[in-house]
Amino acid sequence: MSEAAYIGTNVRNVDALDKVMGGRGYPVNVTLPGMLHGKLLRSDYAHARVLSIDTTEAEKLLGVKVILTPDDVPKKKFNPIYFMPVQGHGANHDMEILSDVVRYAGQPVAAVAATSADVAAQALELIDVEYEELPALFSPAEAMSEGAPALHDYTQNNIAKHPFVETGDVDAALAEADRVFENSYQTQRVHTCYMEPRLVVVDADATGNLTVYSSNQHLFGLREKLAFVLDIPESKVRVVKPPYMGGGFGGKLDLGYIEPLAALMSLRTGKPVRFEHSRVEEFITGARNPVGMELKTGMKRDGTIIARCCKSTFDAGAYATHGSTVIMVHGLFGFMYTYNCPNRRWEGVSVHTNNMISGGYRGYGAPQAAFAVESQLDEICEEMGLDPLEIRIRNTHKEGEPHPLLDQTFTTYRLEECIRQGAERIGWSRRTRPNSDSGTLQRGLGMSCVPTWISNCYGQPDLYEHSGALVKLNPDGSADIATACMDIGSGQNTVFCQMVAEELGIPFGQVRMSNVDTGNVPFDAPTHASRGTNAAGAAIRQAAENARLKMFEVAATMLEANPRDLESRDGKVFVKGSVDAAVSIRDVAFRADSPLVQDTPQGPQRNSTPFRGTIIGVSSMNPKISPVPCGAMFVEVEVDIETGQVRVEHVVYAHDIGRVIYPQGAEGQVEGAVQQGIGYALMEHVQFDPDTGACLTGDFLEYKMPTAVEMPGRIESIFIESNDEHGPFGAKSLAECCLIVPAPAIANAIYNATGVRVRELPITPEKILAGLGRL
Amino acid sequence: MKQLVSLNINADVTELAIEPGATLLQVLRDELGLVGPKRGCDTGGCGCCTVLIDGFSRYSCMTYAQSVQGHAITTVEGLALGGTVDAVQQAFVDEGAVQCGYCSCGFIMAAEDLLAHNDNPSEAEIRQAIAGNLCRCTGYQKIVKAIGAAAGR
Repeated sequence: MSEAAYIGTNVRNVDALDKVMGGRGYPVNVTLPGMLHGKLLRSDYAHARVLSIDTTEAEKLLGVKVILTPDDVPKKKFNPIYFMPVQGHGANHDMEILSDVVRYAGQPVAAVAATSADVAAQALELIDVEYEELPALFSPAEAMSEGAPALHDYTQNNIAKHPFVETGDVDAALAEADRVFENSYQTQRVHTCYMEPRLVVVDADATGNLTVYSSNQHLFGLREKLAFVLDIPESKVRVVKPPYMGGGFGGKLDLGYIEPLAALMSLRTGKPVRFEHSRVEEFITGARNPVGMELKTGMKRDGTIIARCCKSTFDAGAYATHGSTVIMVHGLFGFMYTYNCPNRRWEGVSVHTNNMISGGYRGYGAPQAAFAVESQLDEICEEMGLDPLEIRIRNTHKEGEPHPLLDQTFTTYRLEECIRQGAERIGWSRRTRPNSDSGTLQRGLGMSCVPTWISNCYGQPDLYEHSGALVKLNPDGSADIATACMDIGSGQNTVFCQMVAEELGIPFGQVRMSNVDTGNVPFDAPTHASRGTNAAGAAIRQAAENARLKMFEVAATMLEANPRDLESRDGKVFVKGSVDAAVSIRDVAFRADSPLVQDTPQGPQRNSTPFRGTIIGVSSMNPKISPVPCGAMFVEVEVDIETGQVRVEHVVYAHDIGRVIYPQGAEGQVEGAVQQGIGYALMEHVQFDPDTGACLTGDFLEYKMPTAVEMPGRIESIFIESNDEHGPFGAKSLAECCLIVPAPAIANAIYNATGVRVRELPITPEKILAGLGRL
Repeated sequence: MKQLVSLNINADVTELAIEPGATLLQVLRDELGLVGPKRGCDTGGCGCCTVLIDGFSRYSCMTYAQSVQGHAITTVEGLALGGTVDAVQQAFVDEGAVQCGYCSCGFIMAAEDLLAHNDNPSEAEIRQAIAGNLCRCTGYQKIVKAIGAAAGR
């Protein structure tokens, strides 16, 4: 392990130079000759029936090429999430491309494509829609109440999903408990806020083949869902992978309205059609669901958790979308299988309302659960006089134990080390009682854990989790990687180049990512679920290993050695221990790929090597297990008790990562998660007009996320390297874990500073002042 | 009715016909193919479209193209003329300040403004200078570090 040439070293991000010079590779830059520009006409009503749409005037506008209304589009109902096959159980199919009934303010009712985006926007103004307004339901409580109108025909009381899980005997354990704690927690709706908007360009050819360019987290999911909605074979759709894209965070894991509409318009006009969301359209497309949680915990005097039960009520919004999968991840991985407690019960209620559709967002249900679970643990410690670190260590799983849900063990698991090292680094021993400082500025320390998580969707019914790749050696000794795994800003392009360079012994700078599309690479599950490095990386390593074996076979004939005795490094292949008698990888690749032998003293000679062909390795594989990552976050805050303002001063996050592949990238995941986590904890909130359902936070002037000024000066990452044998080069996963923990850690630190416990996110100055009795 | 304008962009004068209401961002991206400035919100909220006007950072989405005739406009493409990146760009690469990178060009332009007017900024001054730019990937820590490193070069 210690001999790695590129794994764990601070290589430069392979795309960074291109990006700082302008970044031509983003899908937002795709433009094609004759391209039309589409715009959506969106409903002003949260719940209404479309009685008629008059497009006569709009059609007359110079430059308008096509207008689609609900009558012009397929009526196939679908669920847009990419990572579950269309036949998958558990996802409700309740969306339509354009529907006669609108169920949230902003749902599209018509679409225009024109020669410019400005003309398309003008045309929208000329379309006359007659609506019959219907009563709108803006909260789960309202939607479930007696006599509430049904928003969909497949639900009862507007409940989209109602899962229930129980293990052990919760009631008996609660009766046995020395103390029982019961609290309610509520989280808000927040948006992923990727910087590159959702966009698509669809180019239909004369025979109806579609070429699709888009900013998305899953090429194959887009291909499958688009083909399903349009009722055409998947082979008619080719989704092109951009070299890189402007962020996703779970927000680009589903088919929108724009992809099928662009496809239909391109088929009709024979021209490429492009749609790009405005920022206000983004704010009503996909968000982390608000959840209300009633959490009950039974404790023994010594700090052992013996019973846990929780009821989680989700606002699923107008359509199920991610609502029916987020709720399961929330229940299973956010609540049921976190700490080691034998008696657990969880009930989830996912409720349709006339609010915006929900979406995927990094952590996928777990940040909401962690806010409740980790806040309540702090409250329990406070009430029972227990130590917040020791209570967590006492109740965690242990390395080697069977996993309570998955068919595997905790192969590596170092939560205690994360807690101890994180505490040391933040200076946890300085922690005092609330309101210990004199003056108006109170300082506090808080922490929280992500005790278990999964890398990829291993073991989850009906979810895609396999990956594939192709690694090819070129005659100049360089290597190309072809994979459908998108680098969404998460560093996969760099990580994969490191892995291939390491596995083949090729200099890092000579490995490149190829431009591919769904037609020429194996299937890959999305870049989501913290799986890029661990699961897609495993397929990359496998492909590279296969290429290496082929390379050794050729090199063996050149070195007159046994392939099993060979090793490669720094662009050379040699018999182990005999680096001086090496052949260069360039010569090996050239020999395999050329009719000529390069560099003989007599000049080029005919090649008599038995193997003739490109040295190539392929893979397509399912991960065998999901090695469990875990982590602990510590924060120090300063609260101004006059104004209620919170400043997060210092953050330490310690994580059992298995092995760090790309240190700058791993730190970047943590630092970015702290930005999103502080936003979630203190300020971000997608809000709607309580009467009309219209979005009130449609731009970054209204929707506040932390800028560089609001961020702490110090964010420190500690990576515990447990080297899990089931990850590529020992790597487990990271990306979501570090966003599950910040909100409760900050809430706990605010309590430690002020004695105010806020159980509803975001923790605004008003809530703190109210808690202090100063409002 | 389109109007003829003359714009000085990256030390190169370009004449072109534009709609009177066209923003500088639209002209740069859609007419001239300068895609360094990005559209992130179109409402002056994210900073992805930041360019320099006479050396000062401005949101190009909030600037009418017509209004900057006779002024020197610099996009990120103008920093690496000849293919060599400048100190700020190099520092962003070296410090790992680029993740998805969609915001990077905007941050770089904000940093260019800062460093042109303050060659030894404090961390607080750096943070203030980029407060008009949003990033969702990095938590700003490596961006702040990169700008500090560029100042020291």
